Order: sequence, then C-alpha cells, then structure tokens
Amino acid sequence: MTITRRDVLLGATATAALMPLAARAQTSEVVIGVIYPFSGGSAQQGIDAQKAYETALEVINKDTDFDLPLAKGEGLPGLGGAKVRLVFADHQADPQKGRAEAERLITQEKVSAIIGTYQSAVAVTVSQICERYQIPFVSADNSSPSLHRRGLKYYFRASPHDEMYSAAMFDFFDAMKKKGTKIETLALFHEDTIFGTDSGNAQAKIAGERGYKIVSDIKYRANSPSLSAEVQQLKTANADVLMPSSYTTDGILLVKTMAELGYKPNAIVAQDAGFSEKALYDAVGDKLEGVISRGTFSLDLAQKRPMVGKINEMFKAKSGKDLNDLTSRQFMGLIILADAINRAKSADGEKIRDALAATDIPGEQTIMPWKRVKFDEMGQNNDADPVLLQYRGGKFVTVFPPQAAIAEATWPMK
Amino acid sequence: MGEDAVTAQAIIQSLASGLLMGLLYGLIAVGLALIFGLMDVVNFAHGEFLMIAMYATFFLFAFFAIDPLLSAPLVAAALFIFGAVVYLLIVRFAMRAKANAGMVQIFSTFGLAIVMRGLAQFFFTPDYRSIPQSWLGGKTVSVAGIFLPEPQLIGALVSIAAFAGLYFFINRTDFGRALEATREDPGAVALVGIDKNRVFALGWGLGAALVGLAGAIMAVFFYIYPDVGASFALIAYVTVALGGFGSVFGAFAGGIVVGLVEAVTALVLPPSLKSVGIYAVYLLVVFIRPRGLFGSM
Amino acid sequence: MDKNFAARRRRDLIIAAVLAVMAALAPLFVKDVYVQNILILTLMYAALSQSWNILSGYCGQISLGHALYFGIGAYTTELLFTKFGVLPWFGMISGGVIAALIAMVLGYPFFRLRGHYFVIATIVIAEIGLLLFQNWDWAGAALGITIPVRGDSWLKFQFLRSKLPYFYFALALCCLAWFVTWWLEDSKWGFWWRAVKDNPDAAESLGVVVFNSKMGAAAVSAFLVAIGGAFYAQYLAYIDPESVMGFQFSLLMALPAVLGGIGTLWGAVLGAAILIPMTELTRSYIGGSGRGVDLIVYGTLIVLISLALPQGLVSLFSRAKAKGATR
Repeated sequence: MTITRRDVLLGATATAALMPLAARAQTSEVVIGVIYPFSGGSAQQGIDAQKAYETALEVINKDTDFDLPLAKGEGLPGLGGAKVRLVFADHQADPQKGRAEAERLITQEKVSAIIGTYQSAVAVTVSQICERYQIPFVSADNSSPSLHRRGLKYYFRASPHDEMYSAAMFDFFDAMKKKGTKIETLALFHEDTIFGTDSGNAQAKIAGERGYKIVSDIKYRANSPSLSAEVQQLKTANADVLMPSSYTTDGILLVKTMAELGYKPNAIVAQDAGFSEKALYDAVGDKLEGVISRGTFSLDLAQKRPMVGKINEMFKAKSGKDLNDLTSRQFMGLIILADAINRAKSADGEKIRDALAATDIPGEQTIMPWKRVKFDEMGQNNDADPVLLQYRGGKFVTVFPPQAAIAEATWPMK
Repeated sequence: MGEDAVTAQAIIQSLASGLLMGLLYGLIAVGLALIFGLMDVVNFAHGEFLMIAMYATFFLFAFFAIDPLLSAPLVAAALFIFGAVVYLLIVRFAMRAKANAGMVQIFSTFGLAIVMRGLAQFFFTPDYRSIPQSWLGGKTVSVAGIFLPEPQLIGALVSIAAFAGLYFFINRTDFGRALEATREDPGAVALVGIDKNRVFALGWGLGAALVGLAGAIMAVFFYIYPDVGASFALIAYVTVALGGFGSVFGAFAGGIVVGLVEAVTALVLPPSLKSVGIYAVYLLVVFIRPRGLFGSM
Repeated sequence: MDKNFAARRRRDLIIAAVLAVMAALAPLFVKDVYVQNILILTLMYAALSQSWNILSGYCGQISLGHALYFGIGAYTTELLFTKFGVLPWFGMISGGVIAALIAMVLGYPFFRLRGHYFVIATIVIAEIGLLLFQNWDWAGAALGITIPVRGDSWLKFQFLRSKLPYFYFALALCCLAWFVTWWLEDSKWGFWWRAVKDNPDAAESLGVVVFNSKMGAAAVSAFLVAIGGAFYAQYLAYIDPESVMGFQFSLLMALPAVLGGIGTLWGAVLGAAILIPMTELTRSYIGGSGRGVDLIVYGTLIVLISLALPQGLVSLFSRAKAKGATR
C-alpha cells in the first residue's frame, strides 16, 4: 500500500541494473492483441485504427528520431531489443465476439496485452476477460465513463472520457459567457447506443450543475432513415448551442437535413465521433464552417512540437488521412503500452500491469496536448486535457483551452 | 398565441416531411411488392439492391461527374440487368425447391444480401461516401415557412410518376398483361407460349430498376456505405405488408402511411421510439385486416 | 408403418444418448478455451434452434422474432439478480415463464396471420421490444447491465476462467430441447401439426384444438429460448439490448435449423454443428483483414446450401440411406 510509483520505478531500475543479461536473454518478440470491428457498419474505424497502430509500431520497432518513449533505437531495449508484433482480431461490434477474440488472443496467440476496441460495449466484455486472465487492457479510444468505474485492476485509459470532454465544453461556454457571448440554452442531440446515451447523460448533468437550460434533449435511433422530425424539433427549440453526439452516418444526415429544413444554429459544439471524421467533412464540410468539436488531439500542436507533423505524415502515407481524434489516441495508446512493457522488462501480464500503473510520461513526450500520462487507481488518466477545435477553411483550429488555443473561437458560426 | 402558431407550423412541417419521405419509402418498396405479387417471393436482399444503386449513382458522379438526376435512368437500367441476373442465377433455382419453398427463398436471398455487403466492402471499402454537390443537393423550396427539400420533393414526384407508369404498364401493355397472367396462373401461360422464366426475369429486372431509381435519388441526400441497406430493408417490408402483399398500389399507400405515422410518432414519443409507431400501426392493421390494406390474395 | 416409426424413434433416442455421452466427454480432449467457447456456442445455438424449430419447423409458423424471448430471458435473469439479488437459477425460470406467457398473449392475434404477414409481425414485435429496452433507463437502456463476477460459484452460476460448467449447462439445454422435440413428435400435438402442414384446409376443421396446440408450441419454444438467453447473459456477464435482442439473434436461431433441415429432429443440431464453428473460424482467421472476405464466404455458403439442399443437410443422410436400401 505504501509503495509509491517512484519506488516501483526505482525498483525496476535497480533490478535492471542487477540482471541486464537475464533480461536480454528473455524474448525476441512481444505480442499485443488489437481488437476492432473489421467488418460490418463500423469496419472503416477498424481499418483506420489498424493504420494508426502500424504507424506506432514503426516508431517502436524502428529507429526514429522522435521525442516519444521507445522512438529511438529499435524494439524494446528493456527486453533486449525485442520487437513488438501486433495481432489483429475482428469483433464485428458484438460483445460476445469481442470476448471470444480476446480469449483466443490470450490463450492461442499468447498476447501480453490487448488494446482496442472502438465500441464501448465490446470494451466491457474484452476488459472482463483480460481481468480474468490478468492481462492488461488498454482502452485506447473508448470514451464511456462507466468503463473505468468497474473496479478492474487491469483496465487502463490514457485518454479522456465523455464527462471530461463534456466538462471542457462547459468550461468553454463559461469562458465565452464571461466575454459577453449569450449562451443560455442548449439542445442535446444524441444517438441511442452506449456512446450517445453516456454523452447525453453527462451533458445533461453538467448543464444542470452550471445553470444552463436544456430546451431540447433528443435521443434518436442510430442509423435512422430520416432525421426530419428530429431536426424539426431542434429548429423549434432554437437553442443557443446545438450539441450533437453522433457517429459519421447520422452526422452526415443531420447536417444535410438541417440545411434542407433551413435550420442554422448559432453554434454547434459536437462530441467528436462523426464530427472528427474526414468522411463527414468530405460530405458536408461546406455547411460546417465554424463547427466546434471536442477532441484530445490537434494538428496545430505540430507548430510547437514538430514531431506531431512528421508522425501525421507517416500515418497519412499509410491511410491517406490526417490523424484525427480517434487515430491519435490509438497511436498514443500503443506507445504507452509498449513503454510499460519495456519498463516491465517482461512479457508477463502482471508485471506489465504494474509498469502501466507506474506510468508517468510528461505531456511533451506525447503527440497530444496532455499534461502527462499518469493513471489513477481506477486506471484513468485524469491529466489528459481535452481540447476544442473549430473547423475553419477546411482545417481544425484549436480554440480552447487558452494554453493550447492558437486562435479565438468564431462565434456565432458562419 | 404566437407559440401556438409556431407549434402549428412545426406540425405541418412534420407532416409535409413525413409525406415526402413516405412517397420515397413507397418507391423503395414498390420493387419488392412487384416481385412478390408476381411470384410470391420476398427478396431479403432488397436493402442491398438499394445499396448497390446508391453506389452506382455515387461512382457515376465521382468518375464521370454525372449528376444523380441524369444518372437515375442509367442506374435503373443497370439495376434492371442486375435484377434479371439475380433471378436467373439464384431465384430461379430457389423456386424449383419442392420442399420448404418459403424457407429456401428467404435464406437464399438473405445469403445473397450478406455476399453483397461483403463484396461492397471488398471493392468499395467500408468508408462512408456521399455526393457533396449536386443540382438538387441541399436546395430547398420554402412555402409559407414550410421547407420542402428539393431532393425529397423530386423523389416524391418520381415516386408518383413511377407508380402511375407502373399502373399504365401493368394494365395497358402486352408485357404487363403477360406479367398479370403469369402471376395468376403460371401453368396456363406456358400453354399459350409465354416463357415463364423470361417473364419472371423481366419482373425481377423491373423490380430492381425501381429500386435503382429510388437509390439514385436517395444518393443525393443520404450517406452511402456497405450496410446502408439495413436502415431501409425492414421499413420496405413493413411498407409492402402494410399495403398488402401482391398489391403494387398497396405499396404506394403503405409508403405514405409509414411516412406520416413516423412523423407523427416523433411528435408525441421520444424520437428514438419513432419506429415503434410504424410497427404498432402495422400490427394494428394486420390484426384487423390480416391481408394488409389492399392485399388480395 | 407404425412399427417403423416406433423403431425409428427408438433408434433416434439411442443415437442421441450416444452423441450426448460423446459430447460430455469432449472436454477431456479439448483443453483450448477458444475451441471450448466454440463448442459452447454451438451447443447453445443448437438448443435455441431446436426450440425455434418446434414452433417454426413443426408448426410451420415461421418466426424471425425469437430474439424477443432470448432477450427477455437474459434481462429477467440479470435484472432480478443485479437489482434484487435473486439467484440466476430462479431468474432463469422466471424469464422462461414470462417469455412463455408473452408468447401466448402474442400468439392469440398472431396465429390469425398467414405467411409473410406472420413473419413480418414477428420481426416487428422483436424490434419493438429492442427499442423499448434501448430506452428503458431503469433497465440500463443502451448502457446495458454488467454482471459482477466475484469468483467461481455454482449458486450464482458464474465462473472466472473455467468453461466446463457453461459447457455442461449448454449440453443439458441442448439435450432438453432435443428431448422435448422428440417427445412432441409422437404426441397428439405432433400429429395435428403434421396434419396442418400437409393440408391447411383440413386443419381448419380441427379448429380450436390446433389453435391451442400452436399456443402450446409457442409457449414451449419461447420458454426454452428464454432459458438460452439467461444462459448467454450469465456466460457473457454483460448484456445490452443490441447484443441480446438484435435481429441477428432471430436469424441465428433460424439458420441452423434451416440449413440442417427444418422441421426435422436432427436438423438444428446438425446445422449448428456446421454453421457456428464456420462463422467463428471465418471471423477469427480471415475477418481481421477488414475486407469483408468472411462475409462473402459465409453468405455464399448459405446461398449454396439453401439452393442445393432445400430439405437441409439431413437430407444427405436420408439420401445416402435410400441409396443403401436400393442397393
């Protein structure tokens, strides 16, 4: 109980000093399982994730010049230069299949850790299995707040969850209000699966606490054939800010329907997901000038940290897309996990778990605008600061929080 | 007082949107009704036919810059061929099944649906596509504060025209009469020299062409990806069943009912439950009239 | 003829007993948990499909909405367990009873519908159920219910790593569903159902008794499927509306029986034994590519089997036997 992270770190260094040869002799390869949807409606997210992980793998396994953990030199020095190998598995957005794949990866492929999963519902079962087999699970891109509150020892999330994201949005509203912008009423628009429900709940709660009035709280069926009735209600409510939590498909339909029904909100502040996807802006970007989306990643950071731009180029070469909020978290997730394996000097799940718990990476050594990466006792990194990005002239510009912002928010949107 | 006016306008807007969407649902469903009426087969890959049509429209736009409005006839023609081929390669054999005919039809077309999704993912990638700029896209007609989006408006007109054309076709042309005759007594038509397979293949072609038309219009304002058909398939089945299997014009009425019920449900229930309204109306109708609104069999 | 029938039934029972014993011994040889998981799913889907077959195969009332009963079994069990601390064994039975009651209430208006009207009504009612659970906050809505697993316990029917208890439960459920079907085949109900299938008009004259027997079939079918749902929830330790009430479950219950041979004693088991390992293996070993190849393979097989063997895979056996007899 009294062991601090420092002790663990010191202990780890001491052991390393004592037995460098033993460590080197261990393994030439560490296997990590990557579980994503590779078929079905969200297969594209799986494919993009694969590219992000392959980019991270290149940074880890090859000698690169970035100020990231493990970038310099080849492989994992803590394990005698062992290379990391990824095994990809398809969960088809089904919690049962995710669980089966996790079990297969652990027992057949002998993975040392698992990372995933895009859908939160699948993360629930995958992390349960990991807990049972004492294999760390890194929740790279799941944002449901309930995930880390289940008392799991092997669950880790470096990125923010929806309550943190939503809090950032309201911090932003508070700041705008202080400057004299009128923000009193909000309209929530969220889909009916885990992501939208959690996000809607979090936003409703914070709005209540901070005295914002929700004039319309619309939960809609994901992948509806039509959103006319929903948009009509949003239009009637005419809130100061529209806050959608939608995946790409519904996001596209929402924006198109809004244009068709002549609804032009003063401002849109979106809960990421569809609103950070290239496909959405390819489709309706012209109608979204000035939309604000939360995120944890911003390409603006490249101005301060040139490596962000270079890593983005590496990813773009593979995927044809810029890093976005999802793919950046996936990239970072693998780096953080590999760093822990390196410090654990072992492919053993329990040791990696302890190393993950002792993680303390300063924000400058990430590609994110975070203070640092350090997990609390529930495995959540509370120092992962979200940012708000505004879409302007075909690019995202960081507008909040002030320390990360490179421009003032344009309000109202065009 | 002022608030009442706003509400009244919102209700009229909802009904207008529901009506336009309903006419489109009718157009999407009519191919299904036609095929069913002709040979008692429910095509469980109907949603995937729509998906293929939307992709065809998208690629004609992306590579040849043909506006969906112009490419609609091309897409319909392509789907015509596709439908006939599906009949000749799969459905023809499914109909030969002596035992469990219904099951064989359901599952052979259902299997086809899965293959089509897989192929779409293989060739087109699962990425989300859409047509960003087109003649109709994003344009709206506004009448007294009621917005009528042009894509849906044109879609509704196409739908009405398609149903009118179909009416003329079935009742006034030789082929239409052959369709009707084959439908009523496939054995007898063989005696008068009508090739049943040819008529059925043309029927499938026609059914698919109508979905093609719907797909081309949908592509203007909807997103496109391999699973897009799933959003519409169940609605199409309910539309056809509500109107009455075997009745092409039942699909027209069914579509309008579905569109309006959906709009009204969203006004009184949380929008995430709006499909419940459609389903409840379907159950209500078939409990009172077990053959749907206009079913004849 | 009667003698043959009795002999066949006796033979079926013996084959079933032998297969069950062989299956019960399988874990002695299969230690890999991934393979064990496939076996459990296969047995579970065999049981579900066998139950579905009672209503849809024997009675000829094709339901594509059995996911409703599956979900009701899962939700009843887990709501009782997590909210009131009722042990899953009682929850399972309660879920089964509730599902059976709902099936009878629905059966009353539904059985008046014919053909595709009936099929679509079943799809629609399951969709309504799904949407209601998706919006029911007390039941967790979309967030679902996570079942706390605190260690191995037969009382709470939860086990951390061991798959054997689940395996034997699934095997028992499969045997039960098979035995119920076997028993029904030779019952009065079974006789009426054959009569109805052979000649729907003649059945009209039987009227009320047939209607009641169909209600009975719906209830038995729903009860068993709900037990399956409760089992699945315990096995997965997490449920949400999409993953226990989605349309795919209705299909996955129908597919094994259809591929194996609908309305036959062995169809569901045979179909599940081929279909489930195939789906699992295609996904695990070719699904990671992200190119949909697993879907293409899976779909093509469904098309080919349903076209080539309209009476299902069991017809291969009877065909082989017929050949042997003429030789």
